[in-house]
Amino acid sequence: MTKVDGNRYDAIIIGAGLSGLICGCYLAQAGLKVLITEQHIKPGGYCTSFERKGFTFDAAAHSYGSHRKDGIVRKVFCDLGIDKRIKITRYNPSDTVISPDFKVSFWSDVRETITDFQESFPEEASNIENFFSLLVNPEPAFFLRIRNWTLKNLLDAYFKDDRLKSLLSHPVYGNSGASPSILSACMGAQIITEFLLDGGYYPDGGMQTIPDALADMFRTSGGDLKFSCPVQKIKVKENTIDGIVTSAGDYIQSRLVISNCDARQTFLELLGRDIIGADFFNVITQMTPSLSAFILYLGVDNHFHNLPKPGTSIWIQSQYNFENVDSAVKKRDFSDIGGYLTHVSPDKKSLISFINVPFINKKYWDDNRKQLSESFINKIEKDVAPGLSKHTVCEVVATPQTLFRYTLNYKGAAFGWAVAPSQLAMPDFRKPSFIQGLYLTGHWTTRGLGISGVVNVGYDTAKRILRNRMKRN
Amino acid sequence: MNEHIEQDIITIIADVSGFDAEEITPEKNFFKDLEVDSIKAIEITVAIEKKFKISVRDEDVPKITTVKEAVALVNNLLNQKNYK
Repeated sequence: MTKVDGNRYDAIIIGAGLSGLICGCYLAQAGLKVLITEQHIKPGGYCTSFERKGFTFDAAAHSYGSHRKDGIVRKVFCDLGIDKRIKITRYNPSDTVISPDFKVSFWSDVRETITDFQESFPEEASNIENFFSLLVNPEPAFFLRIRNWTLKNLLDAYFKDDRLKSLLSHPVYGNSGASPSILSACMGAQIITEFLLDGGYYPDGGMQTIPDALADMFRTSGGDLKFSCPVQKIKVKENTIDGIVTSAGDYIQSRLVISNCDARQTFLELLGRDIIGADFFNVITQMTPSLSAFILYLGVDNHFHNLPKPGTSIWIQSQYNFENVDSAVKKRDFSDIGGYLTHVSPDKKSLISFINVPFINKKYWDDNRKQLSESFINKIEKDVAPGLSKHTVCEVVATPQTLFRYTLNYKGAAFGWAVAPSQLAMPDFRKPSFIQGLYLTGHWTTRGLGISGVVNVGYDTAKRILRNRMKRN
Repeated sequence: MNEHIEQDIITIIADVSGFDAEEITPEKNFFKDLEVDSIKAIEITVAIEKKFKISVRDEDVPKITTVKEAVALVNNLLNQKNYK
């Protein structure tokens, strides 16, 4: 591959989220001259950490999955040499769901998980066996046949007990920002398989170590990475990509642009209606994003010993209807909330808790964040961490507006589009048919979300690009 | 007509599966030979539906395990559409 001078690249990637970084690493390692532009001051997107008063908090992603022997994350980390730079620990169980009547966990050993569920729901024993068997040995033809099903349809087909369906749905809802009656069955099944049955992995030093290692590897492989560099326009000539214009006004040329940023931003702002055409404009403006999140980050003092198990994602369900968020938000009170997540950092110094919420508007969260966070802390204290408020020495809150501000994801969406069956695997969100040289990667591609999802898309995008180049050369 | 359809379908499969178009012969099995997983199977189906403006019914799915079968199904659905 010829290295070209100055302001010209073989590929430009907009956004240094995990998917953009991974795609960039593969392309750079294959000899392409690649630029990644990132509007924020650090890499990672939703996989970042930040520091406050001596505490390190993971901003959103707080553990990940699919790191088993054939898991996609392990494969990519090994391919790129990331596995030698960071130490990964698996916490067991990865997830525990606690309801008024049950406590069930997703253990490292799938057999143990099945037994755990069967002991709680003996009358559903064979259904549980069949359901997990379907997930562990996924049959592509089966999932193709049920591609129009929602997760609710799938659970209804396997189970009778609504409480069991609710316990299985809750962590999927929290990991997709879409309720079981909306989420595609295929995506729901993938989340259970990759995030829960093969979940609980955490890098020593916090989640930021992953994008940091990738960014370092990208630069070592010859890539250019620019922070605080928002993009203003993607330039197109005769339906073919010609480059980007940054907010600083620099025109940087490339025949290949990979957008790892928000899809609406990519199509509506960076490209514009004239380029994407009226039909696709109508498609994208009618699509629904996933929910955002209200996130609480708490740093605790050294004398507090009542925290739940570190490293495990704990899903608290006070009711089997965990979706009563709208009314709680309206009442400005989370004390009755149906469900939420709490995750204590492996160093036992801090915890992150979140509730999936709609975006509403900035003023709403500015006016109510304090009241909501107080009721949320009281709720966590009552449910799983007696004495928490007395031992909290650092408190930070992120609202949907905060998520938007740091990542520019539409409406602070935590997982890209709500992956409903009608919004699953849409080809124009991977490689738009109306523009040559444009690819999308990351959680707005309608085919993968969460860390394992975006890692998979980043890998797949790079492979597609390299294959097409090979064919042309 | 058949050849065009076959070529268009192979292009879609090549794009999604990662295999070269030359390797994708009519007898190839999506799942056994072309490493197509659940999400890729759906990507291929959605892309085929969009390209040919057809709708693959759930009961048709078991009929598509090879490239040849996919081409036959698309031909069939296109014929049905034209007769309507």
